[in-house]
Amino acid sequence: MKKLLVVLLAVLVVLSFAKVQIQFWHAMGGNRIELIQSMADEFMKLHPDIEVKVQYTGSYRDTLNKLIAAVKAGNPPHIVQIYEIGTQVMIDGGIAIPMQDLIDKDKTFDIGKFMPQVLNYYKVNGKLYSMPFNSSNPILYYNKTLFKKAGLDPNHPPRTFEELLEYAKKLTVKDANGNIVQAGITWPLHAWFFEQFMAVQNAPLVDNNNGRTGRATKAVFNHEAALRFFKLWYELTKSGAMINTNKEDWDAADQYFVSQKVAMLITSTSDVAYLSKMAKEKGFELGTAFLPRPKEAKSGGVIIGGASLWLIGGHPDKETQAAWEFIKFMASPEMQIKWHTNTGYFPVRKDAVEMLLERGYYAENPHHLTALLQLLLSNQTYNTRGAIIGPFPQIRDIIETAIQRMLNDEMTPEEALKWAEKEATKAIKEYNEIYQ
Amino acid sequence: MGDGQSPFILTKWGDRRMSRKILPYILLIPTFIVIITFIYWPAAYSFKLSMYRVSPFGNRMIFVGLKNFKKLFEDTQYLTAMKTTLIYVSVSVIIVIFLSFTISLLLNMKVPGTPIYKALIFIPYAISPAIAGTLWAFLFNPVVGFVHYNLSHYFGINVDWFTEKPYALILVILTSVWKVMPFDIIFYLAGLQNIPEDVLEAATLDGASSWTKTWKIVFPLLSPITFYLIIMNIISFMFSSFAIIDVVTRGGPGDYTTTLIYRLYLDAFAFQKTGIAAAESVILFIIMAVVTFIYFYFGERRVHYQ
Repeated sequence: MKKLLVVLLAVLVVLSFAKVQIQFWHAMGGNRIELIQSMADEFMKLHPDIEVKVQYTGSYRDTLNKLIAAVKAGNPPHIVQIYEIGTQVMIDGGIAIPMQDLIDKDKTFDIGKFMPQVLNYYKVNGKLYSMPFNSSNPILYYNKTLFKKAGLDPNHPPRTFEELLEYAKKLTVKDANGNIVQAGITWPLHAWFFEQFMAVQNAPLVDNNNGRTGRATKAVFNHEAALRFFKLWYELTKSGAMINTNKEDWDAADQYFVSQKVAMLITSTSDVAYLSKMAKEKGFELGTAFLPRPKEAKSGGVIIGGASLWLIGGHPDKETQAAWEFIKFMASPEMQIKWHTNTGYFPVRKDAVEMLLERGYYAENPHHLTALLQLLLSNQTYNTRGAIIGPFPQIRDIIETAIQRMLNDEMTPEEALKWAEKEATKAIKEYNEIYQ
Repeated sequence: MGDGQSPFILTKWGDRRMSRKILPYILLIPTFIVIITFIYWPAAYSFKLSMYRVSPFGNRMIFVGLKNFKKLFEDTQYLTAMKTTLIYVSVSVIIVIFLSFTISLLLNMKVPGTPIYKALIFIPYAISPAIAGTLWAFLFNPVVGFVHYNLSHYFGINVDWFTEKPYALILVILTSVWKVMPFDIIFYLAGLQNIPEDVLEAATLDGASSWTKTWKIVFPLLSPITFYLIIMNIISFMFSSFAIIDVVTRGGPGDYTTTLIYRLYLDAFAFQKTGIAAAESVILFIIMAVVTFIYFYFGERRVHYQ
């Protein structure tokens, strides 16, 4: 009996060692935890010799911190999902194997099938560093039912800043005491929207072509494009037509919109699925549109946001190879379609879009199409490819601080912008000092 | 082991006097291992890091001496955080001491139902700061907040408690006070129950009003407790305020509710500025050292003991 147990144990040990184990850390909370797990399960069914340990590691910020701690402790995961603004830090960290190296070696993999708009973001100095996974951009969501109530044409969403202001004011309802019962618009108090509205007007954030042709050395966003957006934000807030959230509070903005406390919402396309479902539940008609643009501004486009998958080096070859298989799987058309239709992040590859078109998916889900078209119709310039900056998280915080100071009348829009640019340049210089 | 009854292991060691000298140290080793690995070593490492500029992944370190500190004291945002901390901590401490003393007096009156009140009042102490923050943020939420709704409906106070000055700070103070108060009440109640009845009776006979009794007799008698609580509250407001601020305001509007500890969190874990963050933790260490010194130095002398 004892012998049998020992043999059994030995067999089990051998079996468990035969499987290649890889760690995958991601930052997709809520029901997306299960979604990602189910994708990993599908992968393991196809590759019984690979075991993927999926771990939800908190927000993007937490995930990066955990990665840093793990790297310092000497046991990093194989694959980790890092937000787009962590790109420069990851490159400077020198811990990742650039995707390009693996793509060049793997003849079965065709990067040409990916959307250039997405690849362009993660390509730095012509090299693709990470695999695009979840990409989004912001769109304008609006409540058609409330539009009708306010006497506005539900099929004509605001297209310019001027119209946005006018609509938002018309959609604001006050009670007898002057309390705001319903506001015109909201969006999370997040610098991402500042960046997007800069790109919409084809304006850069930092020098050296947004950090794309050389390391950024200073911020250059104190110009009229930014001022237009700051002034719009200020006027919307001061007229009571806009409700503001806490810093980077995405959920609050969604809740204001879903509870019909606001009539318009600008937020990430990654919420398309959720907001469509909620609109149906709450009984209002949802509309989506491209981001409005100031009449006189130059035509730009939107930048992708979201995150990508990084392959961390220093693991045995066998494990790295298994991790590469998994990354390829997550970027495969089937998985991208599954991810896209369940969330609203758009597929990062062209063939996935083709397949969805054939299935008639976009005819039934026009809001998913809005998101996709806005990206495809964007001009591809350095400004719409997004900035590459080392201290990007800090610069976001600086911009958010400046906006909140402006909204609290501590600074005029001009002063806030000037202050933000100065502080952002300081942060860039400070970061660059380490790499000189 | 004081009375010479040595356990049997000592006989193995031979010389009893020698082992008596060594034994305490041996017994302290486990504690010291824990303290050294989790407190002294990281603290020493922080001191070292505060003199360096460190890249996010730690692959580059440049010695900069005291430049990190210089930078901090020239940084307006850091100086603002100092000012905010000062206001936040002092206002909170004053409110929490006053409120908990008053509530303890009421709880000490032995009216029917006191245990229920006590239980209700102590609950916040058992809740984690993050949950306390979530609760209060929910109450003051501009869309679904119960308190916000009533304030705007009946009193016309229609403000955004998260993003408007000075309401954001007021909300953070309210939440922190609510969270810390039970701790103080426990101490005050224990203190009140130890005040000898005859002192108060004598005062009553002398014709002292209850107001005089409270402020001229009870409060001075409790001054050691008050002093201890002030120190403890300063520490808890300076450090544990982090979770509440993170949940309720995220340091906003602007950096209006960004305290030193929140600034430290941002620099260390949001912006990955390890060197600067280490310098900030050294500054916090110095502040705490001063507070603790004051406690030990004055705690023994100035405060009235019975």
